[in-house]
Amino acid sequence: MQFTPLLTQLIEALRCLPGVGPKTAQRMAFQLLEHHREKGKYLAKTLHEAMQQINHCTYCRTFSEAELCHLCSSARRDHSLLCIVESPSDIVAVEQMGSYRGLYFVLMGHLSPLDGIGPEQLGIKELTLLFARNTIKEVILATNPTVEGEATAHYISELAKQYPITVTRIAHGVPLGGELEYIDSGTLAHAFAGRGML
Amino acid sequence: MINYYRGWDLNKITLQPAFILHRRAYRETSLLLDLFTESYGRISLIARGVRGHRSRLRSLLQPFVPLLISWQGKSELMLLNAAENNGAPFQLRGDCLLSGFYLNELLMRVLPKQDPHPPLYTIYHDTLLELQSGMLQQHTLRLFEKKLLAELGYGLQLQYDFSTGEKVVAEQFYLFYPEQGFKRSASYAGEKMQFKGKSLLALAEEEFPDEECRRDAKRLMRIALASLLGLSFLHSRKLFTEVQ
Repeated sequence: MQFTPLLTQLIEALRCLPGVGPKTAQRMAFQLLEHHREKGKYLAKTLHEAMQQINHCTYCRTFSEAELCHLCSSARRDHSLLCIVESPSDIVAVEQMGSYRGLYFVLMGHLSPLDGIGPEQLGIKELTLLFARNTIKEVILATNPTVEGEATAHYISELAKQYPITVTRIAHGVPLGGELEYIDSGTLAHAFAGRGML
Repeated sequence: MINYYRGWDLNKITLQPAFILHRRAYRETSLLLDLFTESYGRISLIARGVRGHRSRLRSLLQPFVPLLISWQGKSELMLLNAAENNGAPFQLRGDCLLSGFYLNELLMRVLPKQDPHPPLYTIYHDTLLELQSGMLQQHTLRLFEKKLLAELGYGLQLQYDFSTGEKVVAEQFYLFYPEQGFKRSASYAGEKMQFKGKSLLALAEEEFPDEECRRDAKRLMRIALASLLGLSFLHSRKLFTEVQ
């Protein structure tokens, strides 16, 4: 079935969202047009403003419309602690934990030579500038426990060696409430290698 | 009964030793895998639904984990059916991990798809084993490069002058002609393509007695690999120079 040009364009545009195929995009478009005109206008307005105004925080590189995001500009955070994560959603995960009071740095990815992602894409230059300010005492590497995440952590730890900074890596192992029987051998090997004294 | 409409059921291949060279996210929960298998060479597979929270394969489908994989399909769209551990994962750290990426990038770039090289699989496996031992030894990488070239049919004739057939003499200098070999040059001019006989003989013996031999071997391998890699550079090599 043929739609009018504008409707076709709307459906095509909606398909840029993750997990949205042609059928879902069509349903979304009809839903907005039939029942949610006002909400659709609001969505369009918000989308427009967000695309115009949201940029990266100049300190931690997370998404922010202000020059410094609310975490980086807060006086209640510990400015001598820096937690390095791969994506803004990792910040949310760590914040949910509730016990971390330091600042963050978001790499927006990990080193992946085969995809052509190197240090420039990860903002390593900005990170080196942060290290050079001499306000950071400890860097916590919270990149994912994948080989790429490990490589990224290693790269940053080598960088930090030039400065008087303690570099730590988050522990990996058995999840709480998990049973050893069902845990893969790789994770279990990590858990044993990083065992602690009681 | 054979279902003729689903012809790919006939193309089921099971429990092949393999390593993952590279993986990319595909759709919401799937992965596109590039694998180096022992008997089928480099292949690409789609692994469906393995990125989800509950997927058991999430930790298994990573580079440097020896796997036994099963797949089905024709050459274009092949699907991963199963994967299991084939021995302990290699625990590469630091520079050795970066070297691991370097090996993977090399294989991705120079190995044609579905071209089996069983000896190369063993070489790759043994190189990872050496990298796992801790300190990065330059000669580990040089020997891998040398064996890779030989396995692909670009092996270097290091012991003879290709124009005269005479044996290479340690004290003489030789000019390297890519895809041909080495030719004795009258004097040392400090050229990029010029190598000392001693370094060539050392590489042929797979020994690296001094720093000069190691440097020459590195330079030679770069030139020899460059003709296979074409114009674009290796990202992991760049990463390396930046770390050091």
